[in-house]
Formats: sequence, structure tokens, C-alpha cells
Amino acid sequence: MESDAEEEAAATPAAAGAPGAGRLKGSPELTVDADMREMAKTAAWSVSSCKAGNGVAALRDDNLNTYWQSDGAQPHLVNIQFQKKVQLQLVVLYVDFKLDESYTPSKISIRAGDGFHNLKEIKTVELAKPVGWVHISLSGADPRETFIHTFMLQIAVLSNHLNGRDTHVRQIKIYGPRPNPVPAQPFHFTSREFITYSTIR
Amino acid sequence: METLMVDRVHSSLRLFMHRNAIFLCERLCAQFPSETNVQLLATCYLHNNQPYAAYHILKGKKLPESRYLFATSCFRMNLLREAEETLCPVNEPNMEVPSGATGHYLLGVIYRCTGRISAAAEQFTQALTLDPLLWSAYEELCILGIAEDTDECFSESTALRLQQEHTSTPTLVKSNFANENRVLSSRVSASLRDISPKQIKQLHANNIAEVSGYPHVRPTALHVQNSSTSNVPQFDTPSPTAAQTSSIMPPPLFRNVHAYQNTISGDAPTKQKANGVNQPLRRKYMDEARLKKVSGRLFNSDSTSIPRRSERLKDTATNSNSNTSQFGGNGTGHSSGSRYEVIDEMWTDNISGTSSSVSTADGRSFEQDKAERILLQDSKLALGIRELLGLFRTLGEGFRLSCLFKCQEALEVYRKLPESQFNTGWVLCQVGKAYFELVDYLEADRYFELAHRLSPCTLDGMDIYSTVLYHLNEEMRLSYLAQELISIDRLSPQAWCAVGNCFALRKDHETALKNFQRSVQLDSRFAYAHTLCGHEYSALEDYENSIKFYRCALQVDERHYNAWYGLGVVYLRQEKFEFAEHHFRRAFQINPRSSVLMCYLGMALNSLKRNKEALEMMEKAIAADKKNPLPKYQKALILLGLQKYQEALDELERLKEIAPHESSMYALMGKIYKQLNILDKAVFCFGIALDLKPPAADLAIIKW
Repeated sequence: MESDAEEEAAATPAAAGAPGAGRLKGSPELTVDADMREMAKTAAWSVSSCKAGNGVAALRDDNLNTYWQSDGAQPHLVNIQFQKKVQLQLVVLYVDFKLDESYTPSKISIRAGDGFHNLKEIKTVELAKPVGWVHISLSGADPRETFIHTFMLQIAVLSNHLNGRDTHVRQIKIYGPRPNPVPAQPFHFTSREFITYSTIR
Repeated sequence: METLMVDRVHSSLRLFMHRNAIFLCERLCAQFPSETNVQLLATCYLHNNQPYAAYHILKGKKLPESRYLFATSCFRMNLLREAEETLCPVNEPNMEVPSGATGHYLLGVIYRCTGRISAAAEQFTQALTLDPLLWSAYEELCILGIAEDTDECFSESTALRLQQEHTSTPTLVKSNFANENRVLSSRVSASLRDISPKQIKQLHANNIAEVSGYPHVRPTALHVQNSSTSNVPQFDTPSPTAAQTSSIMPPPLFRNVHAYQNTISGDAPTKQKANGVNQPLRRKYMDEARLKKVSGRLFNSDSTSIPRRSERLKDTATNSNSNTSQFGGNGTGHSSGSRYEVIDEMWTDNISGTSSSVSTADGRSFEQDKAERILLQDSKLALGIRELLGLFRTLGEGFRLSCLFKCQEALEVYRKLPESQFNTGWVLCQVGKAYFELVDYLEADRYFELAHRLSPCTLDGMDIYSTVLYHLNEEMRLSYLAQELISIDRLSPQAWCAVGNCFALRKDHETALKNFQRSVQLDSRFAYAHTLCGHEYSALEDYENSIKFYRCALQVDERHYNAWYGLGVVYLRQEKFEFAEHHFRRAFQINPRSSVLMCYLGMALNSLKRNKEALEMMEKAIAADKKNPLPKYQKALILLGLQKYQEALDELERLKEIAPHESSMYALMGKIYKQLNILDKAVFCFGIALDLKPPAADLAIIKW
């Protein structure tokens, strides 16, 4: 499971920032449901700007000590382009106010679309001195909108804590639903009897 | 000095002192260069796992034994073309395949590895005809799916034929490590087979003449058991004495004994050379054998010697190396006592070569009682042969049926085995496999566990066992099994398959893939490892690679229906429905009893809009296995597609009784009600479905 495998047992407790309405704090653990999986392994990642040595690879290297540092004007953008339309449910970022202070993002906007030309904002969140993994769910209120279907996702850092110009982000993960192990089915199987008979190995 | 050195070499090989043997043999070859000594050196190298050395020294040699050893070395080094060329030279189509049955077997394996199935089948059949007790040949035929009924292969007539040609071969084949043993015993019996009945008579005559000789023989039996590379010239010497001392046998016996001894040594375990020259001799004697069969029976003196042999039997738990080894010892002493040694050793080694054990002796005894009432006294031989053939019949039939996926019948056949044979690793694994194919994972689990407990070092069926645990979702036991297997043998592909299954169960497909790839690296002829790699790539949605690996699996073993199934699933996902249907059908043709396969075939047909056939297939699947809920569910799905809502609902209602806790079922019912606009029922069903906690994807659909 992702949570076990990738959990960085961070001893640092969650930041005790004043949780305003809708302000995310970040948790030391990456808790993701078992029925979700990381979707962006085969996607194309790019950033609007970066400092030498702190490039986009640091966002995907599963190492929380390396970070991406932007080097330009705000908003700083991380673009993720998929090879086909995918269903996405969750975006998780690892940021650390204690280490990065004014580099820590404070306002993040998530946009989705078919390409650079028709991105539309789907979610905005504000962070309050976060330390750890920040889970941003992409679902709407309506159960029909649990997933977004998109070719491209853009994570925009609109502003930082303490009005910093550039930003540090240490890791980003994107989650979506697992495909049905049995092909051509409308629903997943849940009971043991069905699952046992559902595939040949 | 030469014979002394040869004797020492054999003794070293027998006692597994390979380096000593190699050293001595190299000195021997330097001092007395002759092809037979070179063959002996090659054998030493092969024993020491240095096929390249054997290859080097044997290159270009023409004697049949040399050719056989050379072919074996080539095979071990994966130089299949050369091996084939040696065994069956293109330029000389009439040259006989050396080493008789085992040569044909090796050639068959080479053909199979290079994809020439029909030629391989031919070779295996040939091998089996030459030596009916060559189990490996029969096994290969079963795997190719074209083995004939065991009643024909191991029939009464075969028994008679063997009897005429053999001295006795008690059926002390333990099912454990059965293949090796059977190969060994087959060698033994193969060699015995070549003995003409005159030989038997001679033995009987010997028994009559000098019963007292036996006690002397006993202690010598052990020390002369060296693995020999049948130095043919050495065996010439005993035979004249044999002929001379035999007062009863006519002169031709000399030839027979000669031939017999040569061929015995020749048909010894693979590393031995066969004297191809003797093959024509053998065949001639076979006919004479039938004539003499009756007279052979009149010599009952065996009975006195048998008890002694069976005692020796229990003492000497050697493997068939000893079988061949004895012949090396023959070169040394040539008193009349040694003659009996010769023959006795052949008996002993034949007996011991089939790795005797007390339990098998017991198993033999009750059959023996029955047999004795029927046959006359001499028939330890006839008895032994029949017992062995009977055992082969049962095991062979069971194996054949399970390869044809007629698992219920196979299980019945296996149950006929005596308990001692049944409670062995090989048989229990086969039984477990049969249950696995029947999708009865609980029973399979039980049997595999028993097998593993009884013989923890049999790794052969353990990959299937790990799959069974995977299906049963037993994480703990699967990881324990995997750890155990790795600790037993880190270099066995089955162990890594088990580890991979462990990770696959936890949905960590990348690590699982790594492990399966290790397994493939360890043995690229292990079809299941390729298939499992394919499954993992498919789970990672890397369809190109998964197709590649499934195809690799099929290259190794065309009847591996899991690979056909895997390809079908990939094409189904890629929406190439024609391809999917074709592959599922191929899988179905190989295993026509699997309800899961029928279900998938139905699904493919449904996607192709061939709804009538799809429904028929689903009906078949439902009938094939009552416990499988899936075909009924699929049937309902198809009916929904055909807009036959009421029938679909009926089907689902029936299904509800069998599998009441399946959220997808209720979801489907809800969907149908929604279509029918019976909204309150729809809501009700969806509610139940939600209660059963489906994954998020379903939640979205259900909450409409």
C-alpha cells in the first residue's frame, strides 16, 4: 500500500498553525486509500522555472530532502501532461514551513484541461504554515464529481508565506482510482467468492 | 594399472569426490589414451558440473557413447544446434541415435526447446517404445498433450516384453523425486530390458548352480558400485566365463550376456554412454526372448535369492549411479564368483537404483501376495515388472489426465494409489494442482500444504501453491512460504515466483515484476514465470510488454493456457475484441473444463455482439461449476445489454442467494431498476451496495 511504502515517518508534528476555515496544515503521514493509485508515473512533468540543481526531477524522486525551487515571477507552475485522459482524485504535496519558511507556498490553485490553451481552475486552497503532506482532494461535492477527467493538470503556486517570491516544493503525487482487475465490468467486485473466480493467474 | 585407475575413478565418482576423480582420470587419459578413457573423463567433468570441459575433450569423437556425452554437454551449455547435430547428423541420416531410449529422449527435448513439437513427440514416443519405463519420456508426451493411454503404454504386452528382456526390477520407485528415480529406474529397466531371456535363464541357472555364491556376493555388492562409463572391452572378459560355466545355456548365451552387460552399462544414467552397436543385437534377442519366455519361467530358483536381495535392497539405498558403477568393477575380478557378482550387482543395483525404502517394500508386499497366487514362482521378475508397470499406469494416467485438464478423473486415478505412494511430495503436488485447475483453492491449499510439509525440499509445485495462496488472499502464509522457499534455494525460479506473488497480493506490482523477472532470469524455460511477468505488466497497464512476455511463455510451452488467457485479457482491455475472442478460445481448447475461461470467452463474445453464443457459453460455464458466481453475473450483464431486464433481474435474484455480500451485484440490480424506472427499489439496492463498501469508482456511479 502506498501509505506503508512511502510513509516518511516524520517525527515533526503537524504545524500548529492557526487553522482558518479551509486552510490546510499538512500531516506527517501520507494516507491514501487502498483503492487509489499513483497516476503520474508516465506523465510529462514540467515547471515554469527552476534554479539549477533544484529542478523538476526533485518533485518525483521520493526524496523529501530534495526540492524544486522556482526562479521567476509568480505564479509558479507545475504542469503535468498525461498520455491519455485520466481520472484523478487527489493531489498530495509535501511542503515544510519549518525548513522553507518564506519559500513555503501559501495559496495554491489547481487547474485542469486538455492543454495549455484551455485550463480551467478547479480548486484553490490556502495553506497555513504546513509541515508534511498536504492532501488536496479534487472531488466536488456531488458524488458524480468524485473524479476529474483530464489530459492535463496544472498546479499553480500563487503566493508564498511571508510574501516570499520563489517557492520550494519537495514532492508531488497525483492519485486516481485503480482500474478494475477484471476487464469490461461496470463495477468492482468486493466479495471473496467473486474475486476468487474473477481471474486466472 | 589401467583397470586399477578406472576402478579408482569410478569409486571416486560414486562417492562424489569429483576433483579426485578428475585428477585420476586425467592421469589415466595421459597414460592410456583411448576413447573410452576420454569418455570416462567427460563423465567426470559432467558430474562436476563442467559441461564445457566435457564439450572440449569430446568434440569430434565418433563413438556412440561419446556422441551421447557430447550431446549432453552441448545441451547443458545451451548449444542446442550442436547437440542436435551430434545426435542426429544431417549428413548421415542412417546413423542411429546413440544411447537408445535416452538418446531419443534428449533429442526430443532439444526438438521441443527449438519448437519442433511433432518431431519432439516422435522422439519421445520412440524413446518410450525402446524403454517403456522411461518415465520422463511419457511425462513429456503428456505435457505436449499427446500422450496415449497408459493402458497401452504400460500394458500387459509391455510387461511381457519387459519380462522377457529383463532380470527382475522390483517396483520400488518412490514417488518422491519421482522423475529422477523413474529416469534412473528406467535406465535400470532399460538396461534390464536388453537382457535376453537367456540371460535370465542363465541367472536362474546360476541360482540353481551356486546358491551358496550369494552370501559372498553381498559384501562385494557395495564396493564394486562405481559409476562406470561402461568400458566395453572390460565387459567382454566376464562373459566367456559366464558362458563356460553355464552348463545349461547354449553358446548364444555368451553373446547375450555380452550384449546384456554392454547394454546395461549403456543404458545407465544419462552420463553413461550406450553402446549403439548393441541395439541391433537387442532387437534380435527380443524375438528370441518371446520364444524362451516360457522356459524362463521354469527356473524358480530366484525365490531363494530374492529375500537376500530384498534385504540388500533395504541396506543399499543407493541411487542408480551404483547401477552403472558395478560394471566398472566387473573389469577387475574374473572368478566365477565375480560372475555372480556381476549379475548380482546388476540385480542389486537395479533394485537399489530405484531407491528402495521400507515403505515401498510394504507397498509391494500386498500386491505381491495377490500376484503370487496368480503367477508362478520365478515371477519375482514378472511380478516386479508388473508392479512397476502398474504403478506407472496409475501415475501416468493421473498425470496424463491432469495435463489434459480432466482433473476430476485425474483425482480419482490418483486416489487409487497405495497410501505410501500417495503421501509423497510429487503425488500430493499433482493432486493439489488438479484441485487448483478445478478452482477449488481450499482443497488445493490443503494438499499443497501437506506436500510441503512432507517434503519441504520439493520446489516443483510450489509456484502453483503460491498462486493458490494468492487467490485465497492469505498474505501471512504466502509471505511465510516465500521466505521459506528462498531460504531453501535462492536459485530456484519457483521461490522467486512465490515472492513475486506476495508483492502482487499487496498490489505492489513493480516489485512483484522485479521478482518475476529474476525468476525468468534463473530459468528461461519456466513458462509460468513469463506468464506472471505478463500479468504484472498488464496490471501496470504496460500492454506491449505484457504481450511480449505472454508470447515468451507460449514459446516455451504452447499449452500454457494461462498465457493464452492473459493475451485475451490484454486484447479485451485494448478493445480488440476479435483477438480477445481468438485467444480465449485457444485457452478454452486447451482447458475445456474451466468455468472461468468459459466465462471470459462469453464476455469476449458479448463484446463482439455475438450475444446468442455468449449466452450459451455462460450457460456452459454455469453448468461446469456450480460454485462459480461469476457466469451468472455475466449472464445478467449480457441480458441487461440485450435489454431483457426481467430475466437479468431473475438471474441476479438467484445469484443473491449464493453470494449475498457482493456489492456489484446489488449495484447492477439497482441499475436495472433504474432503467425500469422502479426507483424505490433502485435506491434500496444501491443502498445495500453502498453498505458493502465498494471502491471509490463504484461509489461515483452508484451515487448517481
